[in-house]
Amino acid sequence: MELEFFSAAFLSALFTIILIDLVLAGDNALIIGLVARNLPKDTQNRVIFWGTFGAIAIRAAMAILVVYILAVPGFMLGGGLALVWIARKLLTPDSDTEASHLAKAPAATFAAAVRTIVIADAVMGVDNVLAIGGAAHGSILLIVLGLAISVPIIVWGSQLVIKLVDRFPSIILLGGAVLAWTAYSMIVREPLLMAWFEAHTATKLILAILIFSISLGPWYSERLSENMKPLVVLLPALLVWMLGFEVAASVWKVQVDYLLAREQGEYMLEGLRWLGWLPLAAAFLWLREQVVKRNARSARA
Amino acid sequence: MRLIDRSPRAANAVWTVSPGGELFVASVVICMILASFGDAVDPAWIGEAGLEVALFDLGGEFSVLAMRHWHLLQLLLGGAALAVGITVLRIGGTTFFKALRPAPSGGVEKVPIKL
Repeated sequence: MELEFFSAAFLSALFTIILIDLVLAGDNALIIGLVARNLPKDTQNRVIFWGTFGAIAIRAAMAILVVYILAVPGFMLGGGLALVWIARKLLTPDSDTEASHLAKAPAATFAAAVRTIVIADAVMGVDNVLAIGGAAHGSILLIVLGLAISVPIIVWGSQLVIKLVDRFPSIILLGGAVLAWTAYSMIVREPLLMAWFEAHTATKLILAILIFSISLGPWYSERLSENMKPLVVLLPALLVWMLGFEVAASVWKVQVDYLLAREQGEYMLEGLRWLGWLPLAAAFLWLREQVVKRNARSARA
Repeated sequence: MRLIDRSPRAANAVWTVSPGGELFVASVVICMILASFGDAVDPAWIGEAGLEVALFDLGGEFSVLAMRHWHLLQLLLGGAALAVGITVLRIGGTTFFKALRPAPSGGVEKVPIKL
């Protein structure tokens, strides 16, 4: 999709890219500090410059590459599903502390330090690049502009970013919501599924609620009472159940619309669609209760 | 490690978010779901049902079907407007029901006149 320069759609996509860049930004300063801590002072300065330069260059190259990769049928769907997981991970409290192991050992030489910084940034930036690739709607200009605006903020204004998200943690929640929205638009734009979505327009709403219910699960589950917590699993499961019948209707050419049903089998299928999930939900609730009771017993013991 | 993980408040945003910020983001999410609803409903079907007057003319730009083309900036503005509306309704409703609540029968200040 070609976006007109400085149109509302263009500015919105640019804002989305900058927001995603900020909330998913890797801590380059920490990586550089860890890698270069044992090097001589003059080499440290060179490592900081070339490490930052290499990280930005790799990030830009990856972002542009992702635009072309996402054009391949199937990758938009995969990218969208990955974004759902990334959004969920972003909102999960204290979720991402494992990446610093990438640079735990200090480097002995200049080349090794720069290589470690670039590799660590590339690994940390995969989710970021994927998200901005999906939000860019295939526009290289948007990606370059987004990186040109956000990379200097992240590299030289990291304290500003930290202060901003510390003062307004709702930016993180907004980032999660924008990632979920980007995931929805990527899945709906998947070339392999586009015709199917046009034929089954109602499934778009089910898909949107499914994506939001999974991505924002860590947020709303915190607001639910203990008795209502199973909803975090039951709501997405019910939506998957409904989507599954729509997919089955297309794949096996069966009638799942009760207004169009004519045979007894079709009515039974319709009944299964609307009521079949109830025993499964009851079984899940019973199992969950047993697990909670067993955990409470073992905690007492 | 992400940059936001340097701030404990940001890393635990689901716990530390302010009620106002939470309401704003929740309103934006509602707008996003409404926009996807507009995307999901086929306008031709609405036309067949004869509901176009109700949904297009009265709702105008704010009708759910028009939201299918909304971009992120519009969704953010819509979310902000919705959050402000909910806050106003909440404050107004609380004030209204507070005024309706009878004073305790044995209360000294049942008649609010100071002697």
